[in-house]
Amino acid sequence: MILMAFAVADVRAEEIVVIVNLAAAPLSKEQIVDLYVGRSDDYTPIDQTAGSRIYVEFYKKVTGRDSAQIKEIWSRILFTDRGIAPKQLPDSAAVKKAVAANPKAVGYIEKSAVDASIKVVLSVD
Amino acid sequence: MVFKVTPAVAATMLALVPVMGHADATIDTIDRYVTFSGFGTLGVVHSDYIKADFVANVVQPRGAGYRSWSATPDSDLGGQARFTLTDSLSGVLQVLSREDSNGKWWPTVEWANLQYQINSDLKVRVGRMVLPTYEYSDTQYVGYSLPWVRIPIEIAYTDAGLHSDGLDALYRVKTGKITQNLQLQWGHTQVDLPGAQFTSTSAAVVVFIDTLQYGDASLRLAYQNYSGPGFPPVRLRVTGAGLTYDPGAWFVTADSNYSQDRFFGDLFAWYVSGGVRFGHFAPYAIYSTTHAQSAGTSGLKSLGNDHTVTAGVRWDFAKNLDTKLQLQQVTIDSLDDPASFANLSPGARVGDKVNVLSLTLDFAF
Repeated sequence: MILMAFAVADVRAEEIVVIVNLAAAPLSKEQIVDLYVGRSDDYTPIDQTAGSRIYVEFYKKVTGRDSAQIKEIWSRILFTDRGIAPKQLPDSAAVKKAVAANPKAVGYIEKSAVDASIKVVLSVD
Repeated sequence: MVFKVTPAVAATMLALVPVMGHADATIDTIDRYVTFSGFGTLGVVHSDYIKADFVANVVQPRGAGYRSWSATPDSDLGGQARFTLTDSLSGVLQVLSREDSNGKWWPTVEWANLQYQINSDLKVRVGRMVLPTYEYSDTQYVGYSLPWVRIPIEIAYTDAGLHSDGLDALYRVKTGKITQNLQLQWGHTQVDLPGAQFTSTSAAVVVFIDTLQYGDASLRLAYQNYSGPGFPPVRLRVTGAGLTYDPGAWFVTADSNYSQDRFFGDLFAWYVSGGVRFGHFAPYAIYSTTHAQSAGTSGLKSLGNDHTVTAGVRWDFAKNLDTKLQLQQVTIDSLDDPASFANLSPGARVGDKVNVLSLTLDFAF
């Protein structure tokens, strides 16, 4: 628990990076925005836990929208059966694992969690 | 309209039953095999005009007016189950309880279909779907998904956004930075209006929608054609165009449609709206109107005419919850069933201004 508390505290100052599978082509920021606001399903976006610091920061800085707006957008997609919101995973390690295993997956993690199993396509300061 | 189960809906339900029984069979890749979601709105409306009932939808038999406060225009409750059968096959069932044209709250099946993803750009659906005639028509009862308390009633005056039982194809085309979402739907729909003068009729319906998305901007073109027997015979064509720009911190959106009906004549409806978002608050304004362009065989020259100025604010005060406060002034431009009202009394006059206050609490999970 203490370790987890430290890990969460670290996220605040840290840069967020958007990652893809090693086999995947690079993605533009516009493509990433489209995936996370439900305008495209060319790739499979993977989310962190709604309301977590990294989640809030990612949406604010990359899509320009806050958590409530994101929920509003996906509720419209959900209740017209045009898709479901990105699957939420508990932490960056889980996101990294999912992205490493799926050539179509896109995720976002803290910069410090980057390793050779995935590649970075966008840095968010 | 009491829980009508048509063959298309029944077939979809039957197809989903064996799936529910084997929910543990193929969970390895998809752990969200069946997902349940819900939405609802608790709303009250106040009107200062006692000569008519302000309604939120053309099918509603009563609203706020004769009784100055009413909870019926906006309140509703919906539930949805979504079934993932394989990577490319899924099903959905959505049930909604809302005051219907008979003043009852019997749940109706809004969505019940099977969806097959043929490739990443093409999917087909079979079963019941809500008609996508105008922007927001397919989520007009999901208050949480709307920036306002409700969609401007004028735009929906000739079409209450009912569902259709049939077939639907969705195709996506990318041309450079523009993505087009093409939708073609055809099936049967029930048209049910309050009052004994109109019978419930079944009509064949064809809809074609083209949505062009360019970043945060989208242009929506719509065409819908109804035809069916009954009194009056249904011969209605709706052609629409809408534009939205929503970069996140603010939005502007506009929609319009031109309806042509042999009996009721031609009507033109439109609205324009804008809003800004400050943290959890999103104030907005709307101007909306409908005006008859020509009389049909009914002889009514100004069917539906009214115009509305609206201001309101949405407050996302907690996770999955919002509350909205909306003030509007509706001007009655015709005594032939002005769009925003039911039960017009003989004392009503053209030019009368009606002040309406609405307060809602929306949720979605």
